[in-house]
Amino acid sequence: MSRGLIGKTLREVWVALLLFAAGIMAFEALFAYVWPQFYEDFVGTVLQFKLIQHIFKGLLGTEVGPGIGLTTFAGMAWVHPIVLALLWAQEMTFCTRVPAGEVDRGTVDLLLGLPVSRRQVFLCESAVWLLTGLILVCSGLLGSLLGGLAADKEMRQPIGRLLIVAINFYGLYVAVGGICWLVSSLSDHRGRAIAVVFALVLVSFLLNFLGQLWEPAQAVQFLGVLNYYRPVVILGDGVWPLADMLTLVTVGGVCWLIGGVVFARRDICTV
Amino acid sequence: MDHIVIDNLTRRYGPRVGVEGLSLRVPSGTVFGFLGPNGAGKTTTIRVLLGFLRPTAGRARIFGRDCWRDTHVIKGEVGYMPGDLRLYPWMTGADGLQIFGRVRGRDLRTPGAELADRFGLDLDVPAKAMSRGMRQKLGLILALVHEPKLLILDEPTASLDPLMQDRLNQHLRELAARGHTVFFSSHSLSEVEQLCDRVAILRNGKLVADESLDSLRTRVHRDVVIRWPSGDAAATTEPPGCLDVDLREGRYWQGSLRGPMSELVSWLAGRQVSDLTIAPPDLESLFRRYYKEESGEP
Repeated sequence: MSRGLIGKTLREVWVALLLFAAGIMAFEALFAYVWPQFYEDFVGTVLQFKLIQHIFKGLLGTEVGPGIGLTTFAGMAWVHPIVLALLWAQEMTFCTRVPAGEVDRGTVDLLLGLPVSRRQVFLCESAVWLLTGLILVCSGLLGSLLGGLAADKEMRQPIGRLLIVAINFYGLYVAVGGICWLVSSLSDHRGRAIAVVFALVLVSFLLNFLGQLWEPAQAVQFLGVLNYYRPVVILGDGVWPLADMLTLVTVGGVCWLIGGVVFARRDICTV
Repeated sequence: MDHIVIDNLTRRYGPRVGVEGLSLRVPSGTVFGFLGPNGAGKTTTIRVLLGFLRPTAGRARIFGRDCWRDTHVIKGEVGYMPGDLRLYPWMTGADGLQIFGRVRGRDLRTPGAELADRFGLDLDVPAKAMSRGMRQKLGLILALVHEPKLLILDEPTASLDPLMQDRLNQHLRELAARGHTVFFSSHSLSEVEQLCDRVAILRNGKLVADESLDSLRTRVHRDVVIRWPSGDAAATTEPPGCLDVDLREGRYWQGSLRGPMSELVSWLAGRQVSDLTIAPPDLESLFRRYYKEESGEP
């Protein structure tokens, strides 16, 4: 690990990281505080409609009906498109900086003109990526806890289960980030790399959504990363989703590893 | 000892040839000019030397180490300034010196400040607010600041004013005098002529010349103008073999010296001439010839 490289990476990402972390924290806090106030109305009226139930089933990945508990239903805060968009946007901007972004803007010549191996660059970048993921997940957890503190006591979600959700959330971060590293390593253009990863997560989101509602889509649902991220189920039963987390970490780890090998062996052309 | 050794290096981009069969040696303590027109393969060679590109065939070594496998070790003693220099927009000179210093494991702020003073650069301005010339200066400072054994400069003077070019040349000469090697890529002879001991010329990815500037000068034609005392003398005298007379007009001969100077001097010693002008060796014309041959021009 090179202190200089880590310092450079942190210097580049800290503003965006703070904004994304604040966004996730604010959303989780607001959701935890505001949602219980509308819960009864929501379950009593809106959730009576079959169509709405289907949409929520698609979104949450589990059966949703008028009998669903508040704490379970509040898991929606962790699969809400806004939270996922914030998490993935941060990852896409971070993980496509090196090497795609550096090659794209030509600064890779300066970076690799230093006495560092490409493996070292990749490891330093990855260390900061894992750290920023931790910060984002902790921000979400903290937001949820703070929002819960402001709400009535019986409306709060159990901390132990929230912690499992947060760890599963981190697994999702690792999986998508690993894919980002691989795509970035294969690309010379940052915009193209972001577009590819965006398309992949969008397909994953749609697969997950459709898989809940449409039988033919269930056959390929396992291909989407969201299939292994079920906060509502975790908040409902409190069971560690070990297989899901292992799958996410394996997907992310394998893609990350291949990305690192590709980066170490590829040609760097900026002209 | 040779700091750079390139053996039969070939690098292709699909069907397109970057460099082909290039062999070159750069001795330590020299200022080596690497010349060629745009697209001749200079930057490709430099990128292979820096481990950015893997050779298709052959190998390149710096300090006896393989440029692809040991690139990170080599770069501890190499300073590099890319031709198309891009800097991080947020980076000031001070940031750059701090980051580079941390990566290189030494404090570069003091020598960096001295260099900034020499080149007239404010180290507190971020790159996004710098002019092209300022960015070029910062790139040079970052390449020079750790006093590398080998300095690789890819067209480094493109955005520098003449005064700054002089300062850079002076600095490079000082480095070479202390045993450092400078590998200086350019497409312009005039800047290489003032600075380099030896030049290699690339054309279409192939080496067409590799020799000292002094040796090149001996091969270059010089323009010669002779004024005879009378039109008769000009018309009846036969020129020596070393002199090609292109134009005879009245009392004047105008031509090119193609042989050794001593031969012309001896020949003139036995004759009476009114005036003689011999121009300095015109290396530019030699290089233009190399470049034209590449483009197929006569």
